[in-house]
Amino acid sequence: METDILFLQNLKKTYGNKTAVNIPSLEIRPRTFTCIVGKSGCGKTTLLRLLAGLETPDTNTKSITGLPAKTAPVFQEPRLMPWLTVKGNIMFSLKGQNGMPAAEERCWQLLKELELTEAAGLYPAQLSGGMAQRVSLGRTLFYDPELILMDEPFSALDYFTRRNLQEMVLRLFRHQQKTILFVTHDVEEALLLGDRILVMENGSIKADIPVMISFPRKAADTALQKMRQSILDLLA
Amino acid sequence: MKRFINGIIVPVILLLLWYAVTRMQIFNEYLLPSPGTVWEALTELATSGELAKHLSISLRRVFFGFLLAACTAIPLGIVCGRSRYFYTYCWFLLEFLRHVPPLAAIPLIILWAGIDEASKLTIIFLASFFPLFLNTISGIRNCEPKLIEVGLSLGFSKTQLIRHIQLPAALESIVTGLQLALGYSWRALIGAELIAASAGIGYLILDAEEMSRPDIVLAGMLCIGIIGSLLDWAFLHVLQRLIPWYQK
Repeated sequence: METDILFLQNLKKTYGNKTAVNIPSLEIRPRTFTCIVGKSGCGKTTLLRLLAGLETPDTNTKSITGLPAKTAPVFQEPRLMPWLTVKGNIMFSLKGQNGMPAAEERCWQLLKELELTEAAGLYPAQLSGGMAQRVSLGRTLFYDPELILMDEPFSALDYFTRRNLQEMVLRLFRHQQKTILFVTHDVEEALLLGDRILVMENGSIKADIPVMISFPRKAADTALQKMRQSILDLLA
Repeated sequence: MKRFINGIIVPVILLLLWYAVTRMQIFNEYLLPSPGTVWEALTELATSGELAKHLSISLRRVFFGFLLAACTAIPLGIVCGRSRYFYTYCWFLLEFLRHVPPLAAIPLIILWAGIDEASKLTIIFLASFFPLFLNTISGIRNCEPKLIEVGLSLGFSKTQLIRHIQLPAALESIVTGLQLALGYSWRALIGAELIAASAGIGYLILDAEEMSRPDIVLAGMLCIGIIGSLLDWAFLHVLQRLIPWYQK
């Protein structure tokens, strides 16, 4: 449906004299996995924060249309509530809602998918970085948003944990059919995950690149490496 | 267990030193009674029921004064912590009041509230109010903004943000404030009873001083230290139940 498409039109955000985001036009189709890459300070995080409602755009006219009713971010840090267990953190969104059918069952299902069943009763201070980030992902998935905004969620993790979580996200994406906007500074990660890559520079979209490589993708694939190099050349 | 054993080594050494000094009669028995004399005084007070009577009066005062402080300081602290303008207009007054010890206000409190329970409760209230009030404000104001953003991104209303994020986040700071307030209220109580009381452990010490019974004075001081430590220990156990994630 046309109404499902997320449209950004004349989206601007400035901080003092610096333009953080300046996007004349952008369209995000539902149930797609779009990755946004760019150098530090290019506006990727600001764009996500604008879509999450954590920042207000400068422009007076309606610059974001088609935003799903339920949109939720996964931040770079887990941002777990220290006073809640893993299970409590995953079900945290319930406190802002008027109940959810079969919430307990849904939570245990997510714990199983995220391989956190054994850790359900632990507190955040007892978790490793990878586990904490999985809980953060679980919390967002439990909320069941149509659009998930992921802001470099795996950047602080080691290679093996990162790969594990990337595969988990892909599995969940295919299983739950969400729309995902994934910000990363790692071009290879973007190519492993996304259907489409937006290259950002100075707040604008410099390039919009569809990724036509079929799954499963491997980092060593020639086609992937070729795309990676051309994106790096664009960023340089 | 190991921690407990390590902790009592120094007190045991001091006790032995005390015994040795009194045995060698370095000081006059009036200036420093022997451990045996103090122990006898303590058992005499315990068996006669006087110690229990005075302790229960003191503990009751602490309980009610502390409870009153908690019931006012915490809600007020939450409201002021959430207020943008509170610090702008009140920081100077707060700093001023924070540095005036309640014991300095005793003459005025006695003038206004008399020498009965009201004045003692007022002193305990003043001693315990500020640490708790300021810790509550600090807990509310220092709630991690990133956690608030999580709530906002999940569609929480303002009330839900306070109830489910700010208050639990402030709990550690509030509990620390409660622990401090408990210690201050116990110390302030003893001061208040030394000056204007007819019962209580502070009064017991003052009465013993007037009756030239330094053994009872020392026995009273030992009780104050032991009871104060027990109160703190008991509170820590309650704390561990209230905030089980704190140790983890």
